[in-house]
Amino acid sequence: MNWNWFYRMGSPRWFYESTSRWLPWLGILTFVLLAVGLVWGLAFAPQDAKQGNSFRIIYLHVPASFLALAGYFLMATAGAIGLIWKMKLSYMVMKCAAPLGAVLTFLALFTGAVWGKPTWGSYWVWDARVTSMLILLFLYMGVLALQYAFDSKDVGNKASAILALVGTVNIPIIYKSVDWWFTLHQPATISFTEAPSMHPDMFQPLLVMILGFYCFYAVALILSVRVEILNRERKTGWVRNLVKQSTDKSLGAEL
Amino acid sequence: MAYNMGFWAFLRRDLQLINRRRGEVASPLIFFIMAATFVPLGITPDSELLKNIAPGIIWVMALLATLLSADSLFASDYHDGSLEQMIISPQLLVMPVLGKVTAHWLTTGLPLTLASPVLGLLLSLPTAGYLPMMAGLAVGTGCLSLLAALGAALTVSLQKGGLLLTLIVMPLYMPVIIFGSATAQYSIQGLAWGGPLAVLGAMLAIAIALCPLAIASVLRLTTIN
Amino acid sequence: MNFQFDNVSQLLNMAGHGIYVWTAVLVTLALVAWLIINPLLQRRDVFKEIAQEVSREQLRQHANRESV
Repeated sequence: MNWNWFYRMGSPRWFYESTSRWLPWLGILTFVLLAVGLVWGLAFAPQDAKQGNSFRIIYLHVPASFLALAGYFLMATAGAIGLIWKMKLSYMVMKCAAPLGAVLTFLALFTGAVWGKPTWGSYWVWDARVTSMLILLFLYMGVLALQYAFDSKDVGNKASAILALVGTVNIPIIYKSVDWWFTLHQPATISFTEAPSMHPDMFQPLLVMILGFYCFYAVALILSVRVEILNRERKTGWVRNLVKQSTDKSLGAEL
Repeated sequence: MAYNMGFWAFLRRDLQLINRRRGEVASPLIFFIMAATFVPLGITPDSELLKNIAPGIIWVMALLATLLSADSLFASDYHDGSLEQMIISPQLLVMPVLGKVTAHWLTTGLPLTLASPVLGLLLSLPTAGYLPMMAGLAVGTGCLSLLAALGAALTVSLQKGGLLLTLIVMPLYMPVIIFGSATAQYSIQGLAWGGPLAVLGAMLAIAIALCPLAIASVLRLTTIN
Repeated sequence: MNFQFDNVSQLLNMAGHGIYVWTAVLVTLALVAWLIINPLLQRRDVFKEIAQEVSREQLRQHANRESV
């Protein structure tokens, strides 16, 4: 089978040039989805019978948590592809996914804490999901710290890729352990997780927000990878031409 | 060729090397016992309260003691070049790695396990908790050693690797401490403590199977570069 | 599906939970915006750097040619 298309995808220049074409549209889609979802969820969805209006934070918290977890797997997969096929572009994606995922994990924890105060009375509760999310943040920080610790970028990339893969194997173990630990210590009466079934009026804006966040993640990641590509390839002809064209354009605009 | 080639040789070698710096090896153990004294001093000497948290404290101290000694796993071999020799030699790299990790466990995890009744005494651990505590520690410190070796391999070529090692390895330790502490707590509460112990055993099995491979590839990466 | 609040001040107040909800919204929007704006600013800086490098190289080439 002809694998050329796969190897072509590994070319930074191909990535930069093809994303230049459709990234603005993805950006507009992101903005529309997030705006619609947010307005719908904050102002038009009915409030929860038990939690009142504070439950509206779910429209921020759940998408952030999804992306935080999915982002870790994306980072580990990019690392694995880089290790197996020695694709530099894949390592760049892994490098950019790390801080992005860490910020999203922090956001999930923050919105969760703010949600917790009016709902359960305190900002921090050691329940299963919150604890797992905290450990995920630590995993991200480990990968980030390792990336920048080495003098040789090559070694740093490969070491972070291996650590990300080790973390991936561990994530199901950690989640299951924390889940079990929490049922061991949980005070009997209160259930900290949302009701599994949600009324469609509340669920639809959540779906829109989740889609919007996925698009946002893609946009933010692609933007970072593009910068990384420009940095790495600054001595090549196509980058120089690109810069020349844009400075000519801006000079033209000034005149 | 025997599949265990090199393992016993490296185990013997590492034990001999550790024997020459016996004092250095005693420090995690001493830290373990001393740090447990911090808890009654800092929190409360009330034995009613202490006995509830004793298993957890003992586990946290064991964890910290293992992390303290993790740095030296590969450091001296890296600095004098014998690590490179191990990597380029024709035998499987997992054999020296397993030998070193076993030596580390024999000189860190095992003494901690054997010393834990002393801490149990200091922290008012109920009688039912002693045997499960030791069983859990014996199995769990094996996992701790393997994971610490992974962190040590990742940071062996770095200057200030020690703190980074801690940062990397801590999230991976969390399932071990959950089930390790639960082994003793289950027994204290009168439940069957074989369950958490079995889970610890499963974690050890996975770790023995997978960690040496990861450690070997990391060593090849960070040393020969 | 209808507007859940009677007027804008009720939207802001959200029956007492307003401060929590709006704090979460503002922090989220701020971080999301920063995660998109930051790469764009970095790209602009990289472009400037590369343009400077190119012009420096051209000057050097001119100087070399003239000195020959």
